Amino acid sequence: MFFGINIPHLHLLLNHVPTVGTVVGLGLLLLAMARRNDHLVHSSLEVLFAVALVTLPVYLTGVAAEEAIEGVAGVRPEAIKAHEAAALWGFMGMQVTGLIAWLGLWQSRRNSRTSRSTVATVLLLAILTMAMMARAATIGGEIRHPEITANPEAVEVGAPTGWLTSERIGTFVTDFPWVWPAAETLHFLGLCLVFGVLLAVNLRILGAMKGLSFAAMHRLLPWGILGLGMNLITGMLFFIAAANQYTQNVAFYWKVAFLLGAGAHFLYLTVFSKTWGLKIGEEAAALDKFVAMTGIGLWVGVIYWGRMLPFIGNAF
Amino acid sequence: MAFLTWLESTGLSTWVREGESIWAFPSILTLHTFGLGLLVGANTIVNLRLLGIGSRVPLEPLRPLFSVMWGGFWLNAFTGSLLFAADATERGTSVFFLSKLVFVAIGVAAMVAIKRSAFDAPPDAPVGSPKLMALVSLAAWTAAITTGRLLAYV
Repeated sequence: MFFGINIPHLHLLLNHVPTVGTVVGLGLLLLAMARRNDHLVHSSLEVLFAVALVTLPVYLTGVAAEEAIEGVAGVRPEAIKAHEAAALWGFMGMQVTGLIAWLGLWQSRRNSRTSRSTVATVLLLAILTMAMMARAATIGGEIRHPEITANPEAVEVGAPTGWLTSERIGTFVTDFPWVWPAAETLHFLGLCLVFGVLLAVNLRILGAMKGLSFAAMHRLLPWGILGLGMNLITGMLFFIAAANQYTQNVAFYWKVAFLLGAGAHFLYLTVFSKTWGLKIGEEAAALDKFVAMTGIGLWVGVIYWGRMLPFIGNAF
Repeated sequence: MAFLTWLESTGLSTWVREGESIWAFPSILTLHTFGLGLLVGANTIVNLRLLGIGSRVPLEPLRPLFSVMWGGFWLNAFTGSLLFAADATERGTSVFFLSKLVFVAIGVAAMVAIKRSAFDAPPDAPVGSPKLMALVSLAAWTAAITTGRLLAYV
């Protein structure tokens, strides 16, 4: 409970962001293409990246909400299962969209023009994701709102969940004893990549390695995204396979909160013009140094809360 | 073996292993993770550059990263010693732990060699092959993390 909002409540508040957000991001992108406006293209990519970030807590709190309402009268478990499967697709679609949107932003910083093929890929992915999100949202609404259910008989059976479900992923992780340790190893290697890259970039802003321009450090950012991606995938494997270790874990919620801040800071490092302009030997402004310190602090927080999952929280 | 048994039974080892305080095992382990991030993270940046990522970027300004590496190394030598002492009989006889030490030694040796050949030697007369050393370094740290992580499971 934070400020009287419990986790299922948080899910109900946040779950509109991916559905409405993909529509807004996609609309902006189409508008930008019609107007041939590069700035607007960047804005739409930034919106899509931000929506991808927020989609993470939407999925995570959804699992907590499921645990909270599973036994409640009038709640159909088939609808929850179908919603969860649809949401997993929407989540993955959104993360891939966010990744390619980030790539587009990174490229457009390096070259003055935004790559057309990247923007076209984002457009396609955003349309697919919007459809997946709409499906997840519709089924999600039917969990508690029989008045909007078009075909009540179909709900009793449940929508088809397809081959990729959280149960299957969980079974894969728990059935093979090597999967968890292997994923943990990758999670730590990813940690080194993302932490190493962001530490180096932020240290440059703070004044170490002033012999490099910020543009030179900017080249490293895709390696940070690689580490972040590795850790998102392996982290989701842990979460899906052992959700009850995390949904009731205060350290986990802190970790996700710091991660969202760190993600936003990553976007700032990718696109912000003032730091981008730092030349060889040039000192950053005090405010930018403060932001760099905050960025390092956010990653320290992510690692701290992650490592404390079993000690402050109840994992393992 | 008698030494390991004694080491494990000291008051400090017992406190690290069994202490209820958040400052015992949990915080030492967390500091060990930060040390890992500093040591391997900073190494990775230098290695990637040596392997050709951003090869137009000058190498010399990356020199402060070696301070980060050494900071991480000493932090982990200290926290690692405490963690070892807490479980000395088990760790001291574990193949994974002993191979982890070997990989760390290779990683540190590569780190020193890279500094000498790519940073300290005159640019027109580099010593050895920095690229090869970077590959050895990446492989050694990956192996050290893998064996270290497996200690918790095997």
